[in-house]
Amino acid sequence: MKDFQAKWLLAFCLLVVFSGFGGLKASAAVDQRIYDNANLLSEAEIEELEAVAAEHSRKHGTDFLFWTTADEQSLYIQDAMSDFYDTWANENGQENAVLLSMNIATRDVYLAGFGTAETTLDNQRVNLVLDRIIPEMQRGDYAGAFRETVTTSSRYMEFRPGVNPENIFFKTWFQLTLALLLGGAIVGSMIYNSGGRVTTTATTYFDGNNTKVTGKLDQFRNKTVSRRKVPKKSSGGGGFGGGGMTGGGRSFSGGGRKF
Amino acid sequence: MVIQYKCPNCGSDMSFNSETGHLSCPSCGRQDEIETFPENNILRKFDPDEAKEYHCENCGAVILTEAETTATHCSFCGAPVLLADRLTGDLAPAKVIPFTISKDEAVAAFWKWTKNGRLTPRGFTSGDRIKKMTGMYVPFWLYDIDGTANVAALATRVRNYTRGDTIYTETDFYDVRREIDLSYLKVPADASEKMDDELMDRLEPYDYQELKDFKMPYLAGFLAEKYDYDDETLFSRVESKIVPYIDTYIGSTISGYSTVSYTNKQIQANKKNVYYTLFPVWMVYYDFDNKEHTFAMNGQTGKVVGKPPISGFKVAAWFTGIAASAFAVMKVISFAVGGVLW
Repeated sequence: MKDFQAKWLLAFCLLVVFSGFGGLKASAAVDQRIYDNANLLSEAEIEELEAVAAEHSRKHGTDFLFWTTADEQSLYIQDAMSDFYDTWANENGQENAVLLSMNIATRDVYLAGFGTAETTLDNQRVNLVLDRIIPEMQRGDYAGAFRETVTTSSRYMEFRPGVNPENIFFKTWFQLTLALLLGGAIVGSMIYNSGGRVTTTATTYFDGNNTKVTGKLDQFRNKTVSRRKVPKKSSGGGGFGGGGMTGGGRSFSGGGRKF
Repeated sequence: MVIQYKCPNCGSDMSFNSETGHLSCPSCGRQDEIETFPENNILRKFDPDEAKEYHCENCGAVILTEAETTATHCSFCGAPVLLADRLTGDLAPAKVIPFTISKDEAVAAFWKWTKNGRLTPRGFTSGDRIKKMTGMYVPFWLYDIDGTANVAALATRVRNYTRGDTIYTETDFYDVRREIDLSYLKVPADASEKMDDELMDRLEPYDYQELKDFKMPYLAGFLAEKYDYDDETLFSRVESKIVPYIDTYIGSTISGYSTVSYTNKQIQANKKNVYYTLFPVWMVYYDFDNKEHTFAMNGQTGKVVGKPPISGFKVAAWFTGIAASAFAVMKVISFAVGGVLW
């Protein structure tokens, strides 16, 4: 009987230990997330960004990666990015990642979501993130751009898939304003009506038997036609991409810009 | 000339009973139809110098009245009296809506109304604060209005469609004209200087089914006044009252357009008939916080109007409550839709 209990206790302990490992594995297995091949970042910046990326990676079980290159020959940044990611994923055994790639030689930037991030950071959200980081990229603040990518993506990924996280109805200031306006309007009308409201309408004294239209004219005069182009749905600024598939068969969401 | 209605049974002074619609005797309870009340029991007393003073036929006391009073009580013995010469000739009302709400019902209705006040201070709804309650026939002019409207407008119909990568916006312009015969019946305007116009307007509407040809006995037991303004003077007020109604009607005859802008609008309104009419109003004088508040109640429908005191605390509480719950609801919705609270 005692043996039996001890065995179960051991099994339970092992289970706890392994499950603990399992939970930590996602982040513990990865110790480098910044691959600055183009040497755009200082040592201190890399150290700081690694910390930021590690923190948010733990939170979502998704690694936030930053890869820079300076390859003048590269035609499509997606292809180079795909190759990099296939290699990285195979080496680290990870499938969930958000990858910001940039080619400083061609001035391309591409943001992609792999694995679960393909839905939690879909094309629409990728473009929203790009909108925010492009000014920083143009200023040359690449560290800032990556930090922004991590924090913003991390925030977006908390929203249910499919909804627009920048929708004004999700903004607390907007909700608060709306609530105050509503309160003001309702209480205002209560005060206004506290002395009894006017209940006569246009029909109260209306004599339908003797009111009538005796003359009526609806004559067409002229017509004007104005034309304008259907606005482009994809984001401006030379956007490209919209997700795809890596050579290693990993599908991803994504979007890229020139900066 | 002073008129009093004497009970054919016991000789007491009778007054109008709003529940039965009859003359009733407070002593023996006898009820008499107004149309068939015996002439013999109508006491008319003609004073030689009556322009100055009226005397109560019961007790001989001088009846104290204001210049516009037409019905009142003898301040000495309490008998209901009518001042007939202020109700005849040019001053004879054509129509009357009799009281259908008795004093007790009016008190009850007023209490109910104060309880519904969501913004009134707590003390306002409790305690016996009605100082005075007066049933009064207020003089109104009712206008039957005939008119014409001539309108010209430029209207557009807008259509959007897409061909290829171009959005076309097609705007058709139309010349629109309308000639309209207008008719509005019995639009009221209060003819008493004492009464606040806005207050009286808000007492409307009255139910014209109960509009009766004027008979003096309806006034017995109530206060009544004669008009201060004649129908010519008040017509402009009635006109300004119906112009919005006319605009609404004109708008309803021009339909099916995206936009309508009027280039010319001529409205001509003439009065066809005018009726001098007495409407029943309960005036409620209410003491609160060392101030007297005046309320008016439609003596036919029970609708109460007037400016109640507003409690700043309750206003703040309602505002906070509504704003906070609206905010909470929006947060819940944004959590349900977006999965995020902040």
